[in-house]
Order: sequence, then C-alpha cells, then structure tokens
Amino acid sequence: MTHDYENPWGYRLKWLYMLTVVGVLMLPVFYTLYISFNYGGFGAAEYEFTWLWYRTLFENQEIRTTLGWTALIAVIVVACTIPLALLAAKFYQRTRFKVPFVFLMLMPLFVPADVTAAALLVYFKNLNTLTESVLGLAMFELSLWTAVIGQITWCLPYAFVVILVTMARFRPEQAEAARTCGANAWQAFWHVEFPQIRAGVFASTAFVAILSFNEYVRTNFLKGGFDTFPTYLVSYMLNTGMTPEVYAMAGLFTVVSMSVVIVVLATTMLRERS
Amino acid sequence: MTVQESAARTRPVPAVEAEGIAKNYGSVTALKPTSFAIPAGSYFVLLGPSGGGKTTTLRMIAGLIRPTGGRVRINGADVTDLPADRRDTSMVFQGAALFPHMTVEQNVAYGLTLRRLPRDRIRSEALEMLKLVGLAGFERRRPHELSGGQQQRVQLARALVLKTSVILLDEPLAALDAQLRRDMCFELKHIQESVGITFVHVTHNQEEAMTVADEIALIADGELVERGTPEHMYETPERRFTAGFIGENTLLDGIIHGHGQEARLVIAEGLEIPLPNAPVGEGRPASVSIKSEDFRLAPEAVDAVSAPVEVVDVFYLGFSTVMHVRLPDGRPATVRSTTGALPTRFRSGDRAVLSWRPEAVRLHLA
Ligand SMILES: Nc1ncnc2c1ncn2[C@@H]1O[C@H](COP(=O)(O)OP(=O)(O)OP(=O)(O)O)[C@@H](O)[C@H]1O
Ligand SMILES: [Mg+2]
Repeated sequence: MTHDYENPWGYRLKWLYMLTVVGVLMLPVFYTLYISFNYGGFGAAEYEFTWLWYRTLFENQEIRTTLGWTALIAVIVVACTIPLALLAAKFYQRTRFKVPFVFLMLMPLFVPADVTAAALLVYFKNLNTLTESVLGLAMFELSLWTAVIGQITWCLPYAFVVILVTMARFRPEQAEAARTCGANAWQAFWHVEFPQIRAGVFASTAFVAILSFNEYVRTNFLKGGFDTFPTYLVSYMLNTGMTPEVYAMAGLFTVVSMSVVIVVLATTMLRERS
Repeated sequence: MTVQESAARTRPVPAVEAEGIAKNYGSVTALKPTSFAIPAGSYFVLLGPSGGGKTTTLRMIAGLIRPTGGRVRINGADVTDLPADRRDTSMVFQGAALFPHMTVEQNVAYGLTLRRLPRDRIRSEALEMLKLVGLAGFERRRPHELSGGQQQRVQLARALVLKTSVILLDEPLAALDAQLRRDMCFELKHIQESVGITFVHVTHNQEEAMTVADEIALIADGELVERGTPEHMYETPERRFTAGFIGENTLLDGIIHGHGQEARLVIAEGLEIPLPNAPVGEGRPASVSIKSEDFRLAPEAVDAVSAPVEVVDVFYLGFSTVMHVRLPDGRPATVRSTTGALPTRFRSGDRAVLSWRPEAVRLHLA
C-alpha cells in the first residue's frame, strides 16, 4: 500500500509521537548511562570519560557474587518457565474452558507484586510448619528455590502469551500429517510443530531471562541469605544514595537488557528474511 | 480344511471394513451408524454434499478421530483403539499439510526416517516416489516454492512412500483450478492402478468422483445413501437422493395408480408417467427421475411418452445445449441435447413437446 493520500498531519503526528516516546522513555535511561561514564559522576562541572566506575563494580567481589546468583536464578527460571508455558499453551488449545484458563494463567500479572510476594512468603511459612510436623524437615525455607518459584509466577504469563501467539499460526493438519506418517504425538510435536514455533520460544526465553534478571520485589521477599543484583542495587542505593557506582550498576542493567532485546530482534529479522 | 477357512480363502479380506461406525459431537450427529467394506486394491470415493460426514468417516478410518460407536478394521485387524501412527494407512490432506521447514525430499522421507531405515535407502525411495508423481528434480525445494498442484503431488509421494495398504485422501484436489484438477484426476487414477494400493478419496465434486472411482459411496446427512460403480450411480440409481445429486436429472414425485400394465405415477392433474409393471401397489408415494440427455425436445412428440412444455431458458454450451422447460403444472425439467441434434433453435417462451422413452424412466421408492 502506498501513502500517497495520507494526511500530512498524520505523518507529522507519528513522528511527534515517536519523539515523545523516545524522549520520555529512553532519554532518562541514556542520560543515566551517560553519567555512569563520567569521572565526576552526577553534577560534576565538566564531563570526563572513564571506565573507572565499571571497573570498580567488577572488582567488587560482593557484586560479582550477586551477578552469579542473578544469572543462576535466571537460568533456572527460564529452564522451568518455558516448558511450563509450552504445556500451558498446548493445554489451552485442547481445553473447552478457554476463557477461565487464560484468566487463571494471566492472574499473576494483575495481582500487585508485593501482594503476591507476601502471600507466597506466608504460604511457604505454613508449608514449612506442615512439612516439619509431618516429615520433620522444613522443605520451604527461604532459599534459591523459593525465589525461583516467586519469579516463575511472574514470568509464566508472559511466556505463555508469547508462545500461544506463535502457536496459533501453526496449522494442526501438519501435526496430523506427521501422525499419519507414523509419528507419535511427541514426535509430531518435536519434529513438526516445535521447529515452527521456535521463534516464539526463543523470544519468550529472552523475555523471561530479562524479567528474571530485573525482578526485585518477589526476589527480595523470597530469597534466602544472598543478594541478587537488583536487591543489592536497591539496598546499596538506600544506604549510600546515588553514588557513581549506582549509575554504573544501572548502566549495566540497561546494557544487559537491551543487548538481549537487540539479539532477539536481530535473529528474528534474519530468520524472517531467509 | 474347515468350512470357515475355505470361506476365508475364497472371499478376500477387505482393506477397510467399517462396522456401524458413528460419530456424535455432543448433540450434533456427524455420522449415523454406518457399515461398509472397501475391497483391497480398489479406488473408493466418498462423495456427497458439504457437511454430510465424508471427512468424519475418512478421519475415523485414519485414526485421527475416535468413533463414538462401531468398529474399524484394516486388513481384517480391529484398529478402532489405535491412533493414526499405528494404523496401516497414510493420508493426503486438502492443503497446507506439508512441513514448511523441510525440503520436498525431507517431507517425503519423513515417515521413513521415523522407521530408522538406512539413509541411502530412504533417499532412493523418496527420490523414486518423487519421480513417480512427476517431481524429479524438485527435491531441494521448500513447499512454499511449489505450486498448489505440485504440493499435492508431494503429499501423495509422502503417503505412497510408506507403502501402507490404504491411502486416504481428503479433498486432495479441492484447492486446484478446474483444468489442473482434471489432469490430476487422471494421474491419481493412473498411479493408483500402477501401485495397486487401496485409495479412499473424499470429494464433493461429481466429475472428480466419476473419473477416479471404481466405486462411489454417496454420503449425505450423516448417512451412507447408496454405493455402487460410477455407472450404476449415474445410470440406475436406486435412491431419489442419488438421482438428485449425481448427473443432471429431472425428479418428479407422485402417487402410484393402477396395477400391472396400467400402473402409472400421477404427478399432477394431466401429468402422468406410465410405469408398466411397477413393483409397488396402488396409492404408494414414489418418485421418478429422467436424465437430461434422455429427454428430447421437439415441435411435436418424437418418443413414446410425451408432455407439452414451455421453454424457459436456453443455454448454448457449444457441443451441447441445455434447456430449462416447464411442464403443464409448472414443474421444471432439464433437457440436454447435442447442439447439432436439435431440430430447431428454441427460444425462451416457445411452446414445444418433451418426449422420452419409457425405459428412460427410473423409479425411486426412497
Ligand atoms: N469438531 C466438531 N464439532 C462439532 N461438529 C462437527 C465437528 N466436526 C464436524 N462436525 C459436524 O459434523 C458434520 C459432518 O462434518 P464433515 O466434516 O464430516 O463433513 P464433510 O462431508 O466432510 O463436509 P465438507 O464437504 O464440507 O468437507 C457437519 O455437520 C459438521 O458441522
Ligand atoms: Mg470435508
């Protein structure tokens, strides 16, 4: 379609809209990034480029440990959430109760984070009392695993929706054709459906990784005796205020998240072009 | 040798046997209990109007849907409880059923790779099948780089390569244009004859059915209405519905009057069709059908039975001409004549006489 007859104001408004979005959403982030490379930090008289603050970050053993925990949790959360989301999307296609099912799946998005987190905390406490009295072992002490569970409740709805959308484009005749060629249900899924929804699975993997990497509220309530990068950043910030290190930490966040998004976009576009 | 054994020896086991198979979706009946047997090596067509239950029947044979009643046997073995991958059947779908992320060769080879055959054997068999369906040299293409007709050939190769005893085809030509459909029909028939596998083919297209079928089963409203050779279905249909669906017939309903030589079907005041020796008694409702080419339209009566008519429409189709006429009580009838054999050029509004031979009248009691 051409835009020959488009109202020129429509075109101008579109640009205005884009600039506003960039201005409001991106500028502060880029500004923080800019400050993080300044030797004098925020409010200094002149700008002097430096890697110093980032070097300090990576030389800090504590921060390296938090990054390790964050990465470990992200990997476990992705490894659990993606198969769960696939199962949920498959179930959605078969169930007759689609609306209640979707509602159930998306509910974690509508319950405030601190409510979910506090609720899970209480729930784990109760489970602890229960397993302790029955098995003599508190199985739900706050730990890596409780944090993982808290994050999965948060990430699953997103992964579910992304996978569901890609799955909707799959033609079920193809799975049936695979069955009539002698494939069992699992082979039909793995050989025929999965390769076609791989882009969606890949995108939701990246999405979940970012969500997990950035998650604060639930993790803070449910983690054991360790810090993840976000919980460390927040407590550090509360203790010391906006020091140059905080800018560098924020910058690190931005760079990691954005690079994941860019990689996903780039590979998706490359795939679509081929 | 026992009696049963000798009976089994003389009567070959059908490739497909449906015994009272039925399918309900809640309160919707897709197929009422239906029984039929398909002889091994034959080309069997399920024909019928949309929504009649053809796809349902085929998919129950394939093992893609489970019947709510009855049994399905393939080569004598009860497979009712087995899923599609454990039945000796393969299938060709209407369209979009090729695996888009695989090449043509990988598509055709897919079933063989599942069987874990040696690589070079898989390759040679896949290539051989592609050659059989006329697609040698296309093996490296992707499905979206093929035309609709080529895609259907690949599907056929993918089904044939498995050497199952039955191949099921659900409207395999529906997405193709008329000319290509005709060519593919000849080809399907030819391939079926050369490989000798039982084909079960679903279509709602009469011409397609007549071209390929050894036998046609007419399915409508969840029921098997009638089955027989294409010739039987066209020339001597038993059921009124068959006469209405296959060919271009004029159907007339009435009541039987008289006996023996005097028996006739009274359709309306002044419109009676003699039915000498009709095998039914006085007062019974019945129908007759007459093929459009068995009518003759002329300025005066030219055959044993006749009725005055008014010409309504005339369609010149080249080799033949189709005329819609109105019988004295206003009932429509369709006449088809080779254009060259028409005594005059009729125009709408003309008065003429419609004649036919008594043997052209076919009686339907149901
Ligand atoms: N999943 C389903 N749920 C409810 N009703 C169904 C379902 N599948 C089929 N039906 C109904 O069963 C009947 C037979 O359907 P079927 O698909 O077998 O018809 P068909 O003869 O193949 O028609 P067509 O020529 O249009 O493909 C139809 O009335 C259809 O609406
Ligand atoms: Mg159908």
